[in-house]
Amino acid sequence: MHIPDGFLSPPVWATLDAVSLTAVGLIARRAQRDTEESIVPLLGVMGAFVFAAQMINFPVGLGTSGHLVGGALLAMVLGPAAATVVMTAILVIQAFVFQDGGVMSLGANIFNMALAGVFAGYLPYRYWAASPRARKAAIFAGGTLSVLVSACFALAQLAISGVPLRRWLPVSLVLFLVSALLEGAITVAAVSAIERLNAAWVRRPITTASRPVGIIAIAAILLVTAGVLVATAAPDGIEKLAAQIGIAAHSPTWLHAPLADYEWQGLQSSWLRKASAGFTGMALLYGACLITGRFLSRQRSS
Amino acid sequence: MHHVVVERWSRASSPLHARDPLAKLAALLAFLLALSTTPARSQIAFLGYAALIGAAMAGSRLPLGGLVRRAALVLPFSATFAFITWLSGEPERALALAEKSFLSGLAALLLIATTPLTPLLAALESLRMPRLLILVVQFLYRYLFVISEQAQHMRLAAQSRGSSRRHGFTAAAGALSVLFARSWERSDGIYRAMLSRGFTGRFSTREHLHLHLADAAFLTAVVAACLAIRLVA
Repeated sequence: MHIPDGFLSPPVWATLDAVSLTAVGLIARRAQRDTEESIVPLLGVMGAFVFAAQMINFPVGLGTSGHLVGGALLAMVLGPAAATVVMTAILVIQAFVFQDGGVMSLGANIFNMALAGVFAGYLPYRYWAASPRARKAAIFAGGTLSVLVSACFALAQLAISGVPLRRWLPVSLVLFLVSALLEGAITVAAVSAIERLNAAWVRRPITTASRPVGIIAIAAILLVTAGVLVATAAPDGIEKLAAQIGIAAHSPTWLHAPLADYEWQGLQSSWLRKASAGFTGMALLYGACLITGRFLSRQRSS
Repeated sequence: MHHVVVERWSRASSPLHARDPLAKLAALLAFLLALSTTPARSQIAFLGYAALIGAAMAGSRLPLGGLVRRAALVLPFSATFAFITWLSGEPERALALAEKSFLSGLAALLLIATTPLTPLLAALESLRMPRLLILVVQFLYRYLFVISEQAQHMRLAAQSRGSSRRHGFTAAAGALSVLFARSWERSDGIYRAMLSRGFTGRFSTREHLHLHLADAAFLTAVVAACLAIRLVA
C-alpha cells in the first residue's frame, strides 16, 4: 500500500522522512562498507526481478489472483540490510517514475515497507527456519508478517493524519489480513521453488539463534504494530477498555499527566497535538522494547 | 509500455528540460511543502497551485493531455479515501485530499518527465545520498525493462503451451523461480562485463551539475510563487 502525497499531515511525513532517511542512510553505508562491489548489480537486478515478478499471477480461486510483494523473500535471499536497500530503491523508482506513492510520503512508505516490513519478514526466518520441521511455517510467517506490519503502520499513519478510518478499520484489516496470508503462501512456494533450483541462493538461517529471543522479538513487533494502530485509529476503544477494567478510575495522576487524553496540553493546534501524542506513544513503546531487548541479551551473555 | 513514454519525454528539449536537476528537485520540494501545509478550506489556494503547475506544464512543451492522464493514475487510491472522508461528513476535506494528491502527482511527474534519471540521481548523490543506494536505483531502472520483458516472454511461452489459471500455485512459483534464476545469472554476467569495461564504482554523467543564473531565477520564481499562494491561503 503506497501512500500518495496529500494524505499524511506535515508532522507525520516530516518525522517519518527524517527517520527513514537516517535509518536507510546508516544501513546503506554499513552495507557498502561490509560487502563487495560485486553485490551492486545483484541488488539492482533483484529489485528489477521483484518488479517483474508482479506480472506472475498466483491464482487463489474465485477468479482472483495475487502477486508477490517481495519484502520477506528479498530478506531471506539477500539478508535484511541489503533487502532494505533494494526495497528502498524500488520505492524510489515507484514514487518518481510510476507515481506510485508520493514524494513527501516516501519516508513513510520506506518506513512501512523497506524497514518495518523487511524486518518483520526476516525475524521469523532468522529464529525459526533452522529447524527443518518449522522451516515452512517460519517462511510463511515471514511473508505474512511483512505485509501485515506494513499495512498496519500505513493505516495508523493515515489515521493519525486525520483520515477518518474508524468505521472502515475492520473491513480494511480483514482485506489486509487476506493479502498478508496470500503473501505468506506465495513466499513459501517461491522460496521452495528457488531452493530446488539452487539451494545456495537462499541464505542459511542462524542455527544458534535462540527461540525465546525470537518469540519476544516477534511479540514485540506485533504489540507495537497493533498498539500503534489501535492508539491512532480507535483511541475511543482504549478509553472504553480503560473505563471497563477500571484503570481510568484508579490510576494515579502521574500516569495521566504526560499523555492526558492522548493529547499534549501545551500544544494549541489539534493535529499537532494528536500527532505529537501519537509519536510520543510510539517512541515510548519502542523505547520499552529496546530496553527489554538489551536487558535480555545482557542476561543471556552474562 | 507506458513508462517508456516518460523516458522519451525526459529527453525532449524545452526551457524546463534545460533547468538544472537540483534546481528542479528543490522547486518540487518547495511546491510539495507548500501544498501539504495548505489547509483544506482554502480552495482559492489550490486554484493557484494548479495555475503554477499549468505554467510549468506549458514550459515543458510536453503533451498536456498525456501528462494529466498519467498523473490521474493516483486517483483510484485517493478517490477511495476521499469517498470515505466524504461519507464521514467532511466533504471539504475529501475534495482537498483528491486535489492535493493529484497536484502532487502531477508535480512529481513533471520532474521526471523533464529530467532523465541519471542526472537526477547525480543530483541526489551530490546531496550526499548513500552511493550504494544510488547505484542500486540505477541498476534497478536499467534492468527493469529487460527483466519485465523476460517475464512477458515467459508468460507468452506458457500460454502458447496451453497453460491456464488452473495450473495453479505451483506452476506460478516455478515460473517465479526460473525468472529469479535468470535474473541472478544475468547479474553475474553484468558484473563481469562491467569489470572488463573498467567500472570504477560510479557512473559518470556527461553533464556536470552547475547552477546557472537561469536555474537560480527559476527556483526563486517557484519558491516565491509557492510562498505567495501559501500566505494568501
